[in-house]
Amino acid sequence: MFFGTFAGFFTDGFFAKIFDVHYLPWIQSVFPGKGTWLYFILVGDPAAETCFESFGVLTSGLFLPIGVVLPAIIAFYLVLSFLEDVGYLPRLAVLIDGLLHRIGLHGYAIVPTILSLGCNVPGCIACRPLETRKQRFMMMALLGVFIPCAAQIGMMQALIPEMIGFVFLGLVIGYFSVGFILNKIWPGESPEILMDIPPYQRATWGNIWRKMWSRTSHFARIAVPFFLLGCVIITVLYLTGGMDWLGNALSPAFGAFGLPQETAAPLVAGFLRKDLAIGLLGGIELTGWQMFTSVVLLSIYFPCLATFSLMIKELNRKEIAATLGILFTTVFIYGGVLRLIGMGLGVA
Amino acid sequence: MNKKSRFGSLYASIFGAIVLAFGIVELVVIGTTGMEGVYWGPLEMSGMWLWWTGIIFVSAGIMYLSSATNFMDIRQLAKSVVASIMIWIVAGMAIFDKVASSIPGEETWVNSPGDFLAGCGPPYTPAIYLLPLSLAIIYFIRQRRRAF
Repeated sequence: MFFGTFAGFFTDGFFAKIFDVHYLPWIQSVFPGKGTWLYFILVGDPAAETCFESFGVLTSGLFLPIGVVLPAIIAFYLVLSFLEDVGYLPRLAVLIDGLLHRIGLHGYAIVPTILSLGCNVPGCIACRPLETRKQRFMMMALLGVFIPCAAQIGMMQALIPEMIGFVFLGLVIGYFSVGFILNKIWPGESPEILMDIPPYQRATWGNIWRKMWSRTSHFARIAVPFFLLGCVIITVLYLTGGMDWLGNALSPAFGAFGLPQETAAPLVAGFLRKDLAIGLLGGIELTGWQMFTSVVLLSIYFPCLATFSLMIKELNRKEIAATLGILFTTVFIYGGVLRLIGMGLGVA
Repeated sequence: MNKKSRFGSLYASIFGAIVLAFGIVELVVIGTTGMEGVYWGPLEMSGMWLWWTGIIFVSAGIMYLSSATNFMDIRQLAKSVVASIMIWIVAGMAIFDKVASSIPGEETWVNSPGDFLAGCGPPYTPAIYLLPLSLAIIYFIRQRRRAF
């Protein structure tokens, strides 16, 4: 609720006005060479009325990370830093210990899980203190597949605010189901660890501000270049006809899930940034159910490039292969189940 | 202390029943009307968070009711304190939402003071009405501190 209000205040109240009403018409009018490749890459579609639809580096490439994702990131890190500062996270680890033991993890695993709700990269790094290789692998696989980062959540909040609870429900079910299965089939131990519980303390604004600033600037350094690169790749694929080819090649899978070929563009962008991918869905005409299905599948289908690079560094080949196997199996199961549910409800 | 405990039990029973009733009504409203919700004069029950607030009110109501017997016992009082904190969080978010959504204007960047105040006016969600009543728990905490 705080997340949605805080992000909505900045995005809908101010950034959408700045970018869509003032900035987009201005840059569309002053940028020379309308209709050229350079114009398409930098400004995007000249007929676009919102920065969500234009796909240009200087329009969508700036609006999505600054106007949509940044307020959501700041809201999340503000709350996380406060909870860390008062000493709540170790208590949460103790509270949830019993539940996480059922899937072969212990309570401490809630720390990387919560950190991943901000960004999957620090979440994966926070898996290092876990005791055994099995626990580290399980945690990273679950984070990569089922935990959306704050940027993604911000995009979901902007695109499907009324369905976001169901997206989370699906992800939580997947987190525990896959965790339970992995714990049964993956060899290794899941020992106990002892944790200190520090006393509660008064939060200091200086600490909260420093943590929030360091994490938000880390996001800006990692995410913004990927957003810009993603916009370039998507526009070039559209201009060269590569997107049509991809759409045709992937159409059997999209058809099976009840999605149109146009969702190929977000799928490609999802390899770079999943939040960018979800943002791109905003520019495609989809029914409510197709949008919901696309968001769920994009959330689980592949970790972003930065997270995947870190996973390659932290896991061995067998574990990476298993993670990819889990990813694709989960996508097909979720895609199929959502199609069946949609057909049952008469909306797919 | 016994008199205080009886008064506390009465408070927890009546207020708990009210909170529980609001929670059940919210769940019924979201279940029957969806996110459109309903507006009864100065009371509003709508939006995508109704499921969440409904579940929180039901839980808080049950916690108040279960703390009604032997109210000033530390374990019993703790239940009411947690239930009150749950209401404070929901009410705090509702107030923040009201204020934040009243600041940006339709045509202008920021609303005029008059439009801002109009935006902050009723209808309000149940949490805002429950907030002042839930603050009574502070009185009981202070009473217990004085007694021991």
